[in-house]
Amino acid sequence: MMSDDTQNDPPNDPARGATSRRALMLGAVGATAIVSIRPALAQTAASVVTCEIPVPDPGRAGNYIAADGSLVPPGTQGAFAPAGRPFKGQDVKVALGGGGQLPGTSYEQNRAYTNYIRRLQSGTSGFTCFASLQMPRG
Amino acid sequence: MPDCLYRMARPEDVRVVHLDSFMAVYHRSSGLTHLITAPAPEILVTLGEAGMTFNALRESLADAYELGDLDDAALTARLDELVSAGLVSTA
Repeated sequence: MMSDDTQNDPPNDPARGATSRRALMLGAVGATAIVSIRPALAQTAASVVTCEIPVPDPGRAGNYIAADGSLVPPGTQGAFAPAGRPFKGQDVKVALGGGGQLPGTSYEQNRAYTNYIRRLQSGTSGFTCFASLQMPRG
Repeated sequence: MPDCLYRMARPEDVRVVHLDSFMAVYHRSSGLTHLITAPAPEILVTLGEAGMTFNALRESLADAYELGDLDDAALTARLDELVSAGLVSTA
């Protein structure tokens, strides 16, 4: 794959074939020879593994999570207490993909929490993390 | 770390595009693109994948180029930049 991609070659030796030594300045200590570009999307992709999703959103802390993922008053029968700590993006990704349960949850609890996460709306804490988990990765 | 070995990032970890006066290096694991200009490309090429110590790099650069301002502090600064960007690793 890489052999036919001429743009993917390692840097060519700038001095190769030169008949005399080329001048090169190292520059001042405070100068810079590198400018780094961080596209917003790249940042999202890089943070997928470490981003966090609180269950529920801190704005609605204290509410319980029903089996279908909706938030219900604390103590509601059949609903689950809030998760003690936010879940990592990587754990959520595995749980949503059916590859395991969220850490420290029972089967039913995991289902309620993942249903809650699937229903996250824009503007809710954890939504950006959830959305980035949906993006196809290159 | 006078004796530590500096190595250029592995070719499969970067995608390099040569532009007119500089080089664009996409670093796959960080998702960052670095626009690098002299002397950074020359340092990368000199280090190569095998890598070399600081002193060996300084000598190799001095052999290959007419260095107008050979200065350990400046070379250290350039190397540190490359290490921060992930384009050079140390061992």
